[in-house]
Amino acid sequence: MSQFHLFSSGLELANLVVSSGVLYHSWAAVRDLYSEINQNEQQSLSVRYKVSQQPNSTTIAFFTWPACSKDYIIQGGGGEDLVSSSTLKESFPLFEFLCTKTNPQFSINKAALELFASIRDSLPSLKSQIDNSKVLIITGNSLGESVATLFTLWLLESIDFSITKCPLCITFGSPLIGDNGLQNAILKYPTWNSCFLHVVSDQDPIPRVLISPHNPPATESASQTNVYKPFGTFLLYSESGCGCFKDSQTILELLMATYSKGLGNQNPNQVLELYIKIVEFLNRKVICGDATGLLQWTTPPLRTGIIIQLVAIGLMRPQPQGQNNGLDNLITKIEKQEMELVMSKGLGFNPSKTLNEIKINMAFFEWYKKCFKEKGIGYYDSFKNGSSQTDIEVVKFKTILTHYWEGEVDEAEKKPQKEGAPFRTGWLGAGTNFRRMIEPLDIAEYYNKGLKDYINQGRPKHYKQLEQWLKETEKPASNLSQLKKQNVASSLTEDSCFWAHVEEARISCKLLSSKESSTGEKELSKHNLIHEFENYVLSLMKNHEVSPEIFLPQSSFMLWWKEYEEIIRKGIMGASYYSPLTDLMKNRSYQNYATGDLEIP
Amino acid sequence: MASLKVGENKEINTDLIQKACSLAVKAHSKSSQKSYILEKTGGSSYVIFSFPGYWSENDWYDGEPFGETKINLDLFPSLRSIGIDEHAKVNKAFQQRFVDKISRNQDFIKEVEKAKNERKQIVFTGHSTGGSIAILATIWFLEKYWRSDASATSPLCLTFGCPLTGNHIFSHALRREKWAPYFIHFVMRYDIVPRILLAPISSIKQEFQPILQFLNPKSSRASTNTPPEALNFYMNVMKNASSVASHAACKLMGNTNLLLETMANFTALSPYKPFGTFVFCTGNRKLVILSNPDAVLQLLFYSSQLDNEAECPDVAQRSLQQHFSYGNELKDCFTKLDADHAVLLESLEKLPLSADSTTTSSDITTINAALKDLGLSTRARLCLCAAGELEKRKIGNKNSIDLKKADTAMKYLQEYQLSCKHQGLGCYDAFKIHKSDKDFEANVNRLELAGIWDEIIEMLKNYDLPDAFEGEKEWIDLGTKYRHLVEPLDIANYYRHLKNNDTEGYTKKGRPKRYRFTQRWLEHAQRLPAGSCGESCFWADVEELRIKTSSKEGYAPFKDEVLQLEEQAMKWINDGVLDKDVLMENSTFMVWWKKQPDPLASCINDIEGFTITSA
Repeated sequence: MSQFHLFSSGLELANLVVSSGVLYHSWAAVRDLYSEINQNEQQSLSVRYKVSQQPNSTTIAFFTWPACSKDYIIQGGGGEDLVSSSTLKESFPLFEFLCTKTNPQFSINKAALELFASIRDSLPSLKSQIDNSKVLIITGNSLGESVATLFTLWLLESIDFSITKCPLCITFGSPLIGDNGLQNAILKYPTWNSCFLHVVSDQDPIPRVLISPHNPPATESASQTNVYKPFGTFLLYSESGCGCFKDSQTILELLMATYSKGLGNQNPNQVLELYIKIVEFLNRKVICGDATGLLQWTTPPLRTGIIIQLVAIGLMRPQPQGQNNGLDNLITKIEKQEMELVMSKGLGFNPSKTLNEIKINMAFFEWYKKCFKEKGIGYYDSFKNGSSQTDIEVVKFKTILTHYWEGEVDEAEKKPQKEGAPFRTGWLGAGTNFRRMIEPLDIAEYYNKGLKDYINQGRPKHYKQLEQWLKETEKPASNLSQLKKQNVASSLTEDSCFWAHVEEARISCKLLSSKESSTGEKELSKHNLIHEFENYVLSLMKNHEVSPEIFLPQSSFMLWWKEYEEIIRKGIMGASYYSPLTDLMKNRSYQNYATGDLEIP
Repeated sequence: MASLKVGENKEINTDLIQKACSLAVKAHSKSSQKSYILEKTGGSSYVIFSFPGYWSENDWYDGEPFGETKINLDLFPSLRSIGIDEHAKVNKAFQQRFVDKISRNQDFIKEVEKAKNERKQIVFTGHSTGGSIAILATIWFLEKYWRSDASATSPLCLTFGCPLTGNHIFSHALRREKWAPYFIHFVMRYDIVPRILLAPISSIKQEFQPILQFLNPKSSRASTNTPPEALNFYMNVMKNASSVASHAACKLMGNTNLLLETMANFTALSPYKPFGTFVFCTGNRKLVILSNPDAVLQLLFYSSQLDNEAECPDVAQRSLQQHFSYGNELKDCFTKLDADHAVLLESLEKLPLSADSTTTSSDITTINAALKDLGLSTRARLCLCAAGELEKRKIGNKNSIDLKKADTAMKYLQEYQLSCKHQGLGCYDAFKIHKSDKDFEANVNRLELAGIWDEIIEMLKNYDLPDAFEGEKEWIDLGTKYRHLVEPLDIANYYRHLKNNDTEGYTKKGRPKRYRFTQRWLEHAQRLPAGSCGESCFWADVEELRIKTSSKEGYAPFKDEVLQLEEQAMKWINDGVLDKDVLMENSTFMVWWKKQPDPLASCINDIEGFTITSA
């Protein structure tokens, strides 16, 4: 890897954003809205919005009026206050979906949230105007953009990315809106993060006011972690050009470093004028060459790329011979971050490679399973008894496989269906195979500890998920049962929890034959055995869904049968108790199951 | 005789280039009835076919926003991505023009065959859209004559100010077939024509008519002044070219920001991509030559970019005028042709990123001067460098394939196959029963190989391997050997685990891409119809028929399929592509086959050395 040069593509991405015309397009929508409301000035702060439909796209623009100044955000009623998601839970639960186990809480700027809440009643009607076949742009002016951002966030919950194209939320000089909790919630799903594009001029103070430590939180409760953090991509602008940045630490540093204090705290309408100029300027400039002067020609491409980006955002003048105005540290820092990004992407390069390695482990496992079968005990009971050297080997493979699948399920869960990651059939097939093969061993360990009710109380999450996903993809049963019947000997039991049912049945038997159990317990056990377990086993056999290994002489299932037979003999189940399953077990016709010659009515 | 070096070991006579150039322009002005003109020249060692251009909007954009369509695979069977099995795209109007006027033109075919039989160097040439016809004619020649007749003289295609013609698969396929070096495209620094198709018709609709009017040499122009629409036309085409170049550059640079994908939804990007060798004329008697398609795409944008806004009107005019200056410019260039005037850009990844004058290396000074003449900024140089780096990285990916590991696994499986045979059971059946330690070891080796090959397939799907990969004999042979040896084990595994129960038959749903791809490689290399090399799926066919004939309907409805399978088996065994172990007494095939009605009448009995043992 290291013999290859790396590159930084922020400048090219910024150029694509500009040349694609989305900035121009979305700014035009804001301007239209602005011209409409210009007449009735000086109302109290309120949100306006407008939906405009074009042949291939829908644009929703938000506008707050009157346009607000830097002072408003800082002093106008505690503009930097945050509202925590736990407070919102009752009053305004629209963003609850962002909370997860690993990231349970986040906070949003209070002023922005209040503005958004003021249009709460209009949300359904706004949403109904979105046409899924078109691309969607959401935009607004400074505080209106906070509303646009929150609106986009709210939409994300209901978007199915496998059928809908990602919306794009473009803001012009928007203040930061949330804390690191919000940042983490969005960053976790790269697709979500890619929906946000923030355009920031080097002259605009507003996007910078909420950055600590220049504006430390006023309230005491706000700790150091409770400060504003950026998310999405930032397109930083200066007269020399523009560049795109994604890393949040870099963004915070660059936002501060590039501020030229051009506007100060003057008429907020100037901010509007400023972005009009910027968009028009960039639009013209996109076909012009950049004015990068002399760099040391031995500078490697990544560093060169970063330097010309910093030149573009106005942070430095082109300098010959590596005189970088003392920005060397910053350049090196960005360089390191970019390198890490590329590397982490490179690692996840080929998931099928690891899957194949895991399949090799499964092949070993399958082999051990076969060996146990030949010993007449079955791998479930062999493992449960922990008697042989091979069982220790099995633990090793089990650990590797469980570790892998736990991780895989975690990863897949992080990207819920919303993020549009349909599982590859091969992947789920391997997962199902793993579940059917390995889960019995977890069950064995569980009941060895003397615990009860594995299915409801002990079952690990990754098994539940894998089963759930299989159910979601399952097609109607095929008509190949004839063949399935013939080959039942070599297949795995389909319900990976089969052995848990057997263990529960044995516990029921124990309760029934014990003198200490209450009548209630006995009745329940009877019910469980007859109505649940017997029917369960019978239906599995009918559909050839259980491996004939369960009939191996030393298996737990056969032990259960011995215990049950004894109970029946004693008449505990009632005089001359009879059922299809007991009949089948008594006359030993189950022996024909493995060869597919057993017919169950 | 002077010549122009356009690549390693490839030089072209400058007289021929000039001759072709003047003929290409001449083709336009001839009476409009003629769809090509023919000239024998160079002491009759060359035959030059030149094609006229066309100048109505429909001759450029027919239908789609960028006027592209699927390639006609009957005429151009190689123009696809083999493993992925995706067709190339080509400009619809150009292809239609070629089909209507050239490929069915008996006179043309006769002349081409005559020249070929006389072992002359055939040169196809064209100016403007005529160049696109020349390109298609060249590929048609390569497909029709060159592939089957290795002794034929290689053709040459020279275009001047020619629009882009095909998409990335078009370019990929020509490089895979090693045909790309036969195409030399001359492009003036500001000539707008080679860039037009980077813009969708919607963005230039207003200006396109008057611009075409101006570009058409046949039209009676009022003056030589450029039309007033030139400015907007130039800006719109360039804006789109800029989108395409930036999007491509992000990809070249290994961009990690998903915003790129989101942006792709918001902007229509041209599908066209260059191929072949490009000779950029700087306009001051210098030539810059390169053949990396990614780099050429970047150059198409950057070389005609503005230095500053003020020069826009001027450049817009030049962007039209330069379309007619190839003859003069090349004449000027060739009168004094030395190393400083024709710069070959090869190791792009080592390109100087800045026009730093501190170096004393004369090579770098020359390259710097040439890049400066094309107006390339540091940003542009970074893009070229990234294009070179990507090429290098693809080669690196190929070299990183663990052949040693694959070889060890293959050797094990070959021994496994032999030892199975010694024990009286083919490896398919032995593996399916899976009884001994050896079967287990074989399974591990099978999975090792699957890992290696799946990785190769994944890289091919992302075009992360060199374009030539799927055409390299070494890999085709290796793939075929792998497929013959290991696919039966995959099939055995599939039916052993009854995967057909969950999904469908192996060939329909279960067959891994690593076998589908390698089969297509072989079929393409040997020019066989798709699906004809399915011998490695023999066992799956057997299993599926076994299931079918065991159903209630019995043998009768599947008689034809059974007969077909028998015939194929015989052919494959006689051709030596299917191992004879399928005929072993206890094989799944024989056990099933003997149960069919009247096995003695079957053609299986005709297989040499086959004797049926009584069932």
